[in-house]
Order: sequence, then structure tokens, then C-alpha cells
Amino acid sequence: MDKHLIFYLMFFPTVILFFWGMGLHVSTWLEGKVEGLDHATKWEKAKFYLRKGWRGFWSRPGWYIRILITEVIFHRKLFGQSFYRWLAHTLLVFGFVATFVVDMIKGFTTGYLVEFGVSWAHVFETGAIRPFLDFFLEFFSFLILVGCIMAIFRRFILRPDQLRTEEEDITSLLFILFLELSGFFIAGYRIAHPDVVQARIYLANFTPASANNWISFGSYFLSQFLGNVKIDANFLWYLHVVPSLIFFVYIPHSKLLHIFTSSMTVISDRQKALSKS
Amino acid sequence: MPIKLSNLSPKQLIEIDACTRCGECLKYCPVYAHKGEEAIDPRGKIQAFKSFIRSQYGLWAKIFGPKKLDEEKLKKFSEMVYRCTLCGECSVSCPVSIDSRSLWTALRETLVEMGHFPEAAKRMKANVLEARNISGDENDERTEWLEFLDELPDHQYRKDKAQVAFFVGCVASFFPLVQKIPLAFVEILNKAGVDFTLLGGEEWCCGFPLIGAGMKKEAEVLIQHNLDAVKAKGVERVVFACPSCYHTWMEEYKTDINIFHSTQFIKQLIDEGKIQFKEKKMRVTYHDPCDLGRASGIYEAPREILRAIPGVELVEMADSKEQCKCCGGGGNLEMVDPDLSAALAQAKIDQIQATGADTVITACQQCVRTILTTARRKEIPINAMDITEFVLKNMKT
Repeated sequence: MDKHLIFYLMFFPTVILFFWGMGLHVSTWLEGKVEGLDHATKWEKAKFYLRKGWRGFWSRPGWYIRILITEVIFHRKLFGQSFYRWLAHTLLVFGFVATFVVDMIKGFTTGYLVEFGVSWAHVFETGAIRPFLDFFLEFFSFLILVGCIMAIFRRFILRPDQLRTEEEDITSLLFILFLELSGFFIAGYRIAHPDVVQARIYLANFTPASANNWISFGSYFLSQFLGNVKIDANFLWYLHVVPSLIFFVYIPHSKLLHIFTSSMTVISDRQKALSKS
Repeated sequence: MPIKLSNLSPKQLIEIDACTRCGECLKYCPVYAHKGEEAIDPRGKIQAFKSFIRSQYGLWAKIFGPKKLDEEKLKKFSEMVYRCTLCGECSVSCPVSIDSRSLWTALRETLVEMGHFPEAAKRMKANVLEARNISGDENDERTEWLEFLDELPDHQYRKDKAQVAFFVGCVASFFPLVQKIPLAFVEILNKAGVDFTLLGGEEWCCGFPLIGAGMKKEAEVLIQHNLDAVKAKGVERVVFACPSCYHTWMEEYKTDINIFHSTQFIKQLIDEGKIQFKEKKMRVTYHDPCDLGRASGIYEAPREILRAIPGVELVEMADSKEQCKCCGGGGNLEMVDPDLSAALAQAKIDQIQATGADTVITACQQCVRTILTTARRKEIPINAMDITEFVLKNMKT
């Protein structure tokens, strides 16, 4: 079966399950009381907050963007508390945000624009922009990996008194570690086996082979050890894609939900401080 | 009885989901520092409540139906939630900025609705609603401390109309140990030529003890009465020596009357040249009351007053301003667990003594009372006084 089709058959239920999980939380949050809306339904409360958020954002968009960057992504408060924690957290958050952005650009241009025959989009697939996309994906993924290893080291080796490790901490960290390592492994494998990858669009490597050593620096390093290793390429693809989708579904049911919730609490706190001043 | 979430706002429910169990709050929570129990620290309380929510509204509850709440767990949870001074230091330290102080009172409201709250809170509620004050004394006796003034004018500071109302607060009105505070403030106002009045028996508890205990709805009658009483005097400003009353008015009283804490008011009088000081060679330290500092953001006014007194050297404690440790007198803790409250006061006294200061100055009658009560019980020689007393002592006549 075509890999596009297989991917979408897995992807759409994943998205539905993710939004269902998020919906469960949103529904619970809307059980709360909203001042002035004593008998409002959840939908009315949701509309109230959406309208308030929309108006609030457009009243000072620059301020919100600045807070998002300095206080949420680069977590200024944490910087003042512990440089180690801040570095690990920032590498993970910035790495994920940046990887997501580059992946979206890559996916949209090569997956849609090229497919729909937009001629200039080929520059993203096989042209001059492609090596940069690949480099940034490699680099940002590397940041996530370093952040994840730092977090694991702190939790299991340094073990500060304040930490209490639960199942979801281990699951979340192992998920991220596995996704990063499997990603690098697959990229290394495709560099080491150009003959295999040409036939499989999801494993295709359009970066010039000569540039791999600096563009896909981590994967290129791994490829040096994978020349004699033979693994079914389809299996490798599933090995990375299926856990990625499961991870996506897992987010709302784990501590990773704080990606959304703590962003809201931090922004709300700064907003309150601003209105008081 | 299922757990109701209608006492929490959507923001507070999001905050519960935002806690990552990082444990930063553990480093600062004075109660955890003393007890060392996971269930009593902010993280433990949030996780416990999260588990209640999950059992009622979570994924499995949606599929298989909500679980019956374990009464024993609820009872234990209630004990933990009420063993908190509401000092708010966890909020300051929280990396994801959870407004935990408001969260704790909302959790207490939920527990009250479910019938899980301390017996002592019931008694306090009865006192406040029947006697209109925290101590249960006759409310008309609110200004008995005026007898200690050298000169008492005919109006006895109960004017029909005035520019300023001095809202004394229950603790300063009824607890002899700290009645020096309103006495001092009245003298300061007199000397500075301020046209002020007291409310006397028309002053009712501000509602803070009820709100802190999770009985916010019951406080509404008090709030409305106090607003009416103040309006009847035609005042432009209300001034408080009690930070808890001040904070409650700021947060809960919807009014356009200007509200001041005594430190802000005294600072203004100094700036206007209405208060001048004689020289006093003295080394003092300042304790930031939780409701004045962290809750209301007033850190500088009291320090500027102390710096305005020539010869006074201000030394800070190891933890000051936003990190100032609670004296143990907040959040109705003394009512629920007096030993724990005393232990926190002892830790505070240790920090005060470590500064080598002659006196600790604060700006809260409850802090003065808590520190002095523990010091006296343990026979620790320590001088603690409210800033109003200190100002009066050092004012030029």
C-alpha cells in the first residue's frame, strides 16, 4: 500500500484522539465558575474566553509575542532559579518549537506544493533551500536530544531532593529519547544506504551526499557505523512514525499537557502584573 | 458526594493541570520545611486534588463512570489544605506562576461545601457572624483601648463626618498585646493633623478570616455593612494598620474610595513634612507581612519610613521581601494547628536573631502578636513592634 495512504490512515485517528484528549481537559476546565456568567453553559464560557483572548491579543500583539518568547519559550523565571534546569528546558522547548516550524515548512512545500505542481516549490525539495531545511531539522533535533539527556541525567543521576519521579516522568522522557534516537538512526541509515532510500519517498534523502557531513552532522556520524547493518527499511519507518503518533495522543494524558497549560498560566500571570502596574 | 468544581475558576483548573511536580515550591514552603510531609506541600495538595478531579472527570471516569470519592482521603486532604498559612511564597517561586494563594482558598471553599473543614473554623464562623468580630467579644467594645490614651477628645474619634476613616481590625481591637498599635496610629494621625474617625461598633470584621477559611459567601454581609458604614462617614480615604484587612478591601470590596495601608499613609505624611523624626541610634530589621508584601506588593513604603529616621540602621533578614518567611500567624493556621504556627514563629525568631538587630519592626498586628506570643512562651528576649509604634516613639513632638 502507498505510504502516503498508510500515513494518513494512522494520522487522522491520531489527530482525533489528540483533540478528544484535549477536549476532555477543556470540558473539565469549563466546569469552573466565571464571574458574571453564573448560569452559562460550557460553550458560552468557551466563547467568552475565546472572545476575551482574541481581543486581548489584538490590543497589544507585540507584548503577547514578547511574553511568549521570553517567558514561555525561553522561560526567564526558570533562568533565575537554576541555570541547569533552564538550559535543559529551553533546549527541549526551543528544539521542539523550531523543529515543528521547519518540519511544517518542509512538509507543506514538499508534501503539498510540489504534489500540486507548484513549480517554484521544487527549491524546497531538491533545490538550494533543501540543505538548509535538513540542516536546521538536524540541528534542532540535536538540541532536543541534548535537553532530554540533561533532563534524564538530572532526574536519575543528580536526583535533587525536590524531585519525585513518577511513571509519567519516565514515560515522557523515554518517549522523547526514543523518538530522537530513532530519528537520528533512520537518517544515518538512509545516508549509509542510498540504494535503499531512493525507492521510498519517506526515507528519501535529497541533500547532496557530499554535503551530508555538515548538514546532517549527527546522522552522518552514525552512518559511518551503519554501512554493514541491514534492516528492513519499512520496519525502520514504522519504528519512528508509530511511536511519534502515539506520543502525540499521549500528550493530553500526561504531564506534557503543561506545554499548553503552563503557557496559559505564565501569560495570565504576566498579564495580571501588567494590569496592576 | 461528587467533587464540585464550581468554586474554582477555569484558570485555577488550568493551574492544577499546569503543575509539573517540579518541586520548586518545596524549597520555600515554611510548613513543608517543618513537617516534611509530601501531602502537605503545595505540590502534594495539587496532585491530590488532581487525582480527585481525574476520578470524577478524567478519561476513565468518562468511559466507566466517576469513582466514589474516598472519604478518608478527602479528610486527610482537608487537613493538609487547612494547614497552610496562605503566605503565598509557593506562588512566587512557582516556575509556571500558579497563583496558589487564591487556589488554596478556592480549595477550602470546595471542602466547606463538601462538609470537610475543621471544627475550629465552624467556631470562628459563628463568632464572626454573631459577634461581628474574630474574638467573639461585644462588638461595641471595639474601641475600649482608647481608654489608654492620655487625652481623649469629646468626640472620642467617633465623628459623624471625616476625611479619613481608620479601620482598626479585630486583632488590634480586641487583643491587649497589640492594642498599642491602634493607640500609636491614632496619636500619629492626631499629631499630623489628620481629620479622621473610627467606626467603633459599626466596624465589623472585614471578612478575611471567613474568606481564608473558604467561606467567602458568608463574608458578603460583612463586606456590604463595612462599605455602608464607611460611606456614611463621607470619607475620601480608608486607612488600615492591618495588612489582611487592607488586602481584603483591595481584593474583595468593590469601592472607589481610596484605600491605604498605614505604611503608605505615614510615608505620605513624611513626604508632606507632617511627620519629622528625632535621631535614634538603633539597628533594626524589618519583617514583611505576607498580606502586605507578597499579596499586596508593598515592600518599599515601610523601608522608606525606617530609612527616614536618622540613625536607624536597617539590616535585612536572610529571607526578605518576596522571600520573607511567614511568621506562622496567617491563613487561620493558629486556629487549626497552634503548635505548627508556633514552630513557624520560632523559625522566624531564629532568622530575626541572626541579623543581630535590636528590634524587629513589622507592619501587622498579627505578626507582632504571633512573634511576641512565641517569644514569651519560650522566654526568648526579643523586641518586636509595629511600625506605627516605632514611628510614634521617634517622632519629634
